[in-house]
Amino acid sequence: MGKAQSLALLTSGQMPERYLRNAGTIGVSGQAKLLNARVVIIGAGGLGGMIVELLARMGVGFLRVVDGDTFAPHNLNRQLLAKENNLGREKAAEAVKRVGKINSDVEVEAVNEMLGADNAEELLTGMDLVVDALDNIYDRLLLQETAAKIGIPLVHAAIAGFTGQVSTIFPGDPGLKVLFRNPGGDGKGIEVQLGNPAGTPAIAAAFQAQEVVKVLTGMGEPLRNKVLYFDTEYNNFHIINFS
Amino acid sequence: MVQVQVLLYATLRSFGPEGKGDFRMDLPEGSKIVDLINKLGIPVEEVKLSMVNGVLQELDHVVAQGDRIGFFPPVGGG
Repeated sequence: MGKAQSLALLTSGQMPERYLRNAGTIGVSGQAKLLNARVVIIGAGGLGGMIVELLARMGVGFLRVVDGDTFAPHNLNRQLLAKENNLGREKAAEAVKRVGKINSDVEVEAVNEMLGADNAEELLTGMDLVVDALDNIYDRLLLQETAAKIGIPLVHAAIAGFTGQVSTIFPGDPGLKVLFRNPGGDGKGIEVQLGNPAGTPAIAAAFQAQEVVKVLTGMGEPLRNKVLYFDTEYNNFHIINFS
Repeated sequence: MVQVQVLLYATLRSFGPEGKGDFRMDLPEGSKIVDLINKLGIPVEEVKLSMVNGVLQELDHVVAQGDRIGFFPPVGGG
């Protein structure tokens, strides 16, 4: 199967077998929306690797994976795409290989660059949605500004230790300007102290994947103008409303 | 005096009594969020988000009897 065959089946009202377990939740029309969607993921580390995996399995039809870094041994504790035999290889290119093994319906493009003011607009242009899998506050603020300018929604997450936060930001929403107000110093948070154990990016990325699916299919209620903050050390999940 | 419930998360828990992240505290009437942060001995720059009854509030927000107040540190990893 490839994307064209899957889309042909979906157009005739049938669910391709590989998506049968999506059917009860998003239906044939939702699956068609995903397969026709274009999503850019900024970062292919702890969050990004897991997001790529989940969106490829869900059948999001085009993924652009942006990361200028290569895998190092300290990535192995949590980054799905990091393996003992690909240390030193480009993260974005490894993401493309992984998707190719999971779902041939998905077109995937690697961009071996870090997000910056010089390339942000180009990276987001033509996309329906952008996923924040970055690791510092200043790049995230640039990402929100660019997403608003291009006019696409942004699904944000950040993690540290047993904690993390997830929020979905539409163009014009305050979003990260609220969550990261008065940024200072190196643009890092408590992850400098607590690090990032394996389960935390998996939790946050899973919530991000659900947000992507909800926004692309129009289902449910996204985490808009609010943030989900979790602290699994003491089993706390909070929704904090911005107003 | 007013009594509030205080919730501290992650690195901020160490500022709670005996390291607890969920406890009650008495404050003089008219106290602001920043007064509570100071009373707990938390450096104010270590609090990124302040929540009162599920809604984000500024540091000068005046607390009320029975408020549920949470403080969250900055999280930036990926």
